[in-house]
Amino acid sequence: MANLFPRWTNELPLKAVVCVAALGGIVSGLVAYTATPKYTRVGYMPEQPIPFDHSLHAQQLGMDCRYCHSFVEQSSHSNLPADQVCWNCHGPGKVKPDSPKLQALREAMDESSEDYTGRPVAWVQIHETPDYAYFNHSAHVNRGVSCVECHGQVNEMKVVYHAKPLSMSFCLDCHRNSEKVLRPLDQITNLDWKAEDVDKDAFYAYLADKTGKGVEDLKKADSHKTFDRLLIGGHLKEAWNVHPPQDCTACHR
Amino acid sequence: MRWFILIVMLLGVMVLAGVGHRGQKFTSRPIEIFPDMDRQFKLKTQKPSEFFADGSGSRKPVAGTVPIGFAVAGDGGPAEFTFSHGPEYASTGMIGEYFGDGFPTEYPVDEALIERGRERFKINCSMCHGLSGNGVGIVSKYWTLPPTANLLDSRVQAFPDGQIFWTITHGKGLMGPYNGTIAVRDRWAIVSYVRALQKTAQP
Repeated sequence: MANLFPRWTNELPLKAVVCVAALGGIVSGLVAYTATPKYTRVGYMPEQPIPFDHSLHAQQLGMDCRYCHSFVEQSSHSNLPADQVCWNCHGPGKVKPDSPKLQALREAMDESSEDYTGRPVAWVQIHETPDYAYFNHSAHVNRGVSCVECHGQVNEMKVVYHAKPLSMSFCLDCHRNSEKVLRPLDQITNLDWKAEDVDKDAFYAYLADKTGKGVEDLKKADSHKTFDRLLIGGHLKEAWNVHPPQDCTACHR
Repeated sequence: MRWFILIVMLLGVMVLAGVGHRGQKFTSRPIEIFPDMDRQFKLKTQKPSEFFADGSGSRKPVAGTVPIGFAVAGDGGPAEFTFSHGPEYASTGMIGEYFGDGFPTEYPVDEALIERGRERFKINCSMCHGLSGNGVGIVSKYWTLPPTANLLDSRVQAFPDGQIFWTITHGKGLMGPYNGTIAVRDRWAIVSYVRALQKTAQP
C-alpha cells in the first residue's frame, strides 16, 4: 500500500483552520465597520429639489432655525417650512425671484407661471428614525438640547448631510449622560455656542432663581472647578430636574 | 497558502476600495440592513402617502367641516382665519370693519409677553425690519425696492394695535402673511414688543 496521502497533506488541516479563521476575522471586521449607522447613514447627502444653502441662510444672513422650522418647540416633528415661508422672501419682486434654482418653488407657488402645479416642494428627508422609534423634538429643544447635538453644524453646510449616526446607542449615550449636552435655553438655535460665552454672573443668578439657593453659595461650591460645558450642563440638569428616561417605552410604543 | 494570501489581499483591496470609509458623502438612500418594520405603512407627518389619490399625506379639512380649535364665522361657513381660534378680536385684530386698538383680554401685556415678543421678533421679523425695527434688516442688502417699513416711524406708531396684528397675519405690500408660522399669542407678543421698541426709540 503506497502512501495514500502525500506529505503536504499533513499541514492541510492546520492551514484550513488558519484560512477559515482569517476569513472569518476579516468578514466580521468588515461587518462591524459597515453594518452600523456610522457607516450606513452618516454622510447621506441627497440631492434636494432646491439646492437650499443652510450656510448662506443660517450663517451669513444670521437667520434663526425657527424662522423656517417654526414648530420645533411645539411639535414632536420639526417641520419643513411651508412653501409660503420660502415665498415670503423669494416671491415676485423680492430676493432672486427668477433664480433657476427656485424652479420647484415657483411650480408650487406661482399661479401666474405656466409651470404651476400647486404641488409642494418635495424635499428629501435626511434624518429619519425607524418608524417604531418616536423622537420628540419639542421635548429636547425645550430642555436645553441644541439642534447641533443630533444634526451637526448645519449652519456651516452648503448641502445638508447626515452628520451623526442617530443610532440607538447614540441616543442612549446622551440619555445616560445628559449633562454633556445641556445648554441654556436661549442658546438652543445658536449652533456655534461655546461654554466660554456664558456670562457667569447671569448663569449663577439664573440657577439661584431656579433652585432657591444663594448665588454666593453656588459660586463658592464651584470655586475649585473649571467653568466648562460639563459643569454648566450638570447644574442645568439639576435645576431643571432632568431625568432622561432609559427604558424601552421612552422611545418605543 | 501563498495563493490564498494573494487572493485574500487582492479581494481585500477591492472590497476596501468599494466600501470606502465611514462618513463619506453619498446621495443614494441609506441601506437598512434589518429593515423589519423600519418603514411602516402609516400616515406620517409631512410625508407623502400612497393611500390618497393626490399622494399627499397632509390632508385638508373636508369641505363643510371645521377642525378642532377653529371657530365657525358668523355666517355659518368655515372660518377664514387660519391658525387661529375664531372670528373674535384676539384672532383678527378687527372689531367689525375697523382695526381695534388695545390688547385683547385673552393676551394681557406683561413682562413675559413682551419677552416672548422680543424672541419671536428676532426670529421672524428682524431679517427685514432689523433688530431695532428701523427697517434696515439684512435683507435690505439683497433687495432694493421698495424699502421695508420702518416700524419706529410715526406712521406705524399711529397704527392701532389691531392693525399691526392684522399686518403680521395677512402681510402687506411685499410682506407675506405670517399666519401660518406665528401663533396668535405670539403675534400679539410681537405687537407688544414693537410697541416697546417704539417707546424706547429716539425721536
